[in-house]
Amino acid sequence: MPRPSPRRIARTIAAAVALTIAGSTLAGCASASSADTVQFHLSKPEAIPYFRELIQQYNASQSDVNVVLDTSSNLQAGFLRGNPPDLGLLNYNMEMARFMERGALSDLSDMPESERILPEVQDLVDQYATYPGRTSVLPYSVMAASVIYNQEIFDEQGLEVPETWDELIAVCDQLTAAGITPFYGTFRDPWTVAQGWFDYTVGGEVDVAGFYDEMNELGTEVGPQSPVSFEKTFAQPVDRMQQLITDYANPDAASRTYGDGNLAFAEGEAAMYMQGPWALGEIAKTSPDLALGTFPLPMTDDADDLEVRVNIDLAAWIPEASDNQEGARAFLSYLFEQDVMDEYNAAQLGYGTTVDAAPVTDPRILGMKDYYDEAAFYQGASKAIPLTIPTENYTQSIALGDDPAGVLRTLDADWARLALRQ
Amino acid sequence: MSTQPALAVENVDAAATLTDGKPRRGPARRTRSSGGGGQRPSTRLTLLLVLCSITVLIPLYVTVSMAFKTQAQAVDGNAFSLPAPFSVDGFVTAWNLTDYPRAFILSVLITAGTVAGTVILGAFASFAITRNWNRRLFRWSFFYLLAAMFIPFPVVALPQIQLTGFAGLDNPVGVTILHIMFQLSFSILLFTAFLRSIPAELEESARIDGATTWQTFWQLIFPLLAPMSATVGIFAFLASWNDFMMPSLITSDPSLQTLPVVQSIFQTQFSNNYNVSFASYLMAMAPAIIVFLFTQRWVMEGVTQGAVKG
Repeated sequence: MPRPSPRRIARTIAAAVALTIAGSTLAGCASASSADTVQFHLSKPEAIPYFRELIQQYNASQSDVNVVLDTSSNLQAGFLRGNPPDLGLLNYNMEMARFMERGALSDLSDMPESERILPEVQDLVDQYATYPGRTSVLPYSVMAASVIYNQEIFDEQGLEVPETWDELIAVCDQLTAAGITPFYGTFRDPWTVAQGWFDYTVGGEVDVAGFYDEMNELGTEVGPQSPVSFEKTFAQPVDRMQQLITDYANPDAASRTYGDGNLAFAEGEAAMYMQGPWALGEIAKTSPDLALGTFPLPMTDDADDLEVRVNIDLAAWIPEASDNQEGARAFLSYLFEQDVMDEYNAAQLGYGTTVDAAPVTDPRILGMKDYYDEAAFYQGASKAIPLTIPTENYTQSIALGDDPAGVLRTLDADWARLALRQ
Repeated sequence: MSTQPALAVENVDAAATLTDGKPRRGPARRTRSSGGGGQRPSTRLTLLLVLCSITVLIPLYVTVSMAFKTQAQAVDGNAFSLPAPFSVDGFVTAWNLTDYPRAFILSVLITAGTVAGTVILGAFASFAITRNWNRRLFRWSFFYLLAAMFIPFPVVALPQIQLTGFAGLDNPVGVTILHIMFQLSFSILLFTAFLRSIPAELEESARIDGATTWQTFWQLIFPLLAPMSATVGIFAFLASWNDFMMPSLITSDPSLQTLPVVQSIFQTQFSNNYNVSFASYLMAMAPAIIVFLFTQRWVMEGVTQGAVKG
């Protein structure tokens, strides 16, 4: 075939390289020039449209700060490089707590917003880690999760929401007798086992925060002889979890994924579903008008001993390394204006974190309101274990029929080994 | 390399035959010789190739049909159903959420820079190394460069992030440089193998005519390297266009991110937006597919070149 002359090739390539470098450098200059920019990190996709609009309004309303939405930067890399986003609003969990524990997040306790946070919600932050003398993470939205149930099926069968373990078993038996699957399990996704089945059964019976306080204190001493351990303390709830799975979950649960579960539950294939409010939006994609409710999983014989699982869906923080803390604080105050918060929580089915938050009204999550208001809640037991230990997979193996005692013993050994390493 | 047989499998054989005149494998295994057009194609081979193409076509079909579905239909569990009603909402959402044009241009610039840089630097280095093979410095630098093949990026990610931060390269320029660097060792391996097959006498004749080293390279060697440059370029293109981790970690300004990174927001644990994500993936795949459609001939040639020489 005919070839173009070598000089032309060389020239074309040289031009391409020059263009690339010039283009990228120019782009780099353009974004670095304005000093009062606040880089606002938010990685929850459902929330992006709402906050994008909010940022536009805010930027138009004043001229001191220019907020830029950041949905894709890598936090670990940002902190390492020393240029993290100026303001973060994201899920708060053990991974985020590491940054706080090491003092990478600035103190916000002098901001009036920190006074408005419900103390029991602020406690949830401290359950992961604290930094002496600082309040560096402000919860923005809390997700309360419990058993989701299909109200139509419950009404047809004349069932009441169960409040004790025995009532729960009775409800399940009646559903089974009527040919309805009581619980829909999606065990192919390990996180669904840990989040729902494991956390609800454990949290319904054990004082999760207290248990982990003791476990952290014991550290390397956790084992068969220690006063508390996974094997000892979690034995009954995890046995009951396996009982519910063997007797009352759909037989094909092992091969079902989270997406399959949402579809099946939306089509009324089961009466109850152990998922959080995030699943409600997914279910609504298929059946927008399905009447759903929520109730805390009863694990004891005491009807007053009911709690719901919560997690901090969004929490705000400002890094020490931010070069525009002033601007970030100004925007944080705007985000924490009560009507801004209320609108977000109403749209995302979250619970407010402040003393003056508007009460939830969505019927699907109304069933958890009383428990939330009375602070009858716990953070998931699976979330308090460092990610180094594959907790989700362990719980999945129990769901698939492994011996609970053996798996919990492994968990104890892992815990002690990790404590030794740290 | 003047003939262009229709199938890649045959092309391997063809290339093997052409390079040194005798077939590498036993003649019994070869069904057709290159250029022979009149024989009947083997049924078994055709079936095998049909199967192979199905493994590509089915996912492609699902991607395309998913992209045009509505959200309700996308989660209904039937991946193979045709979109009904036909919807372009997925494309609109994906376009807006990722700020597609900007991310696309950045991806193109980084990829173009990587391909050009890899081909030129790789050819330079290989030329220098093969022509000075008897000198220890060059021989060892070859092994040194090859050793880089054993270092995956995640292992050196942390120091790279810090270094690029110090050097002010936490932007697409830094990503391009790192892409070139990580692509270089494999490219040099390919180039040197190919350069060894070019007789030194060819170069000597150019020198007798008065050519400098620079002229010899640009006017004689580099054009001869063209098929291998195509191979190297294709590998560099794929590696750079599809890379997620490097731009995600190195680029600090989120408005300078590449396509694969901005698309990652569609994949979360808690929600499935199949129609939006597939629409977005389709838009990211489109350039590569379109380029392939037009350059198929050189791509095939280039890949088989690598197969024999590498």
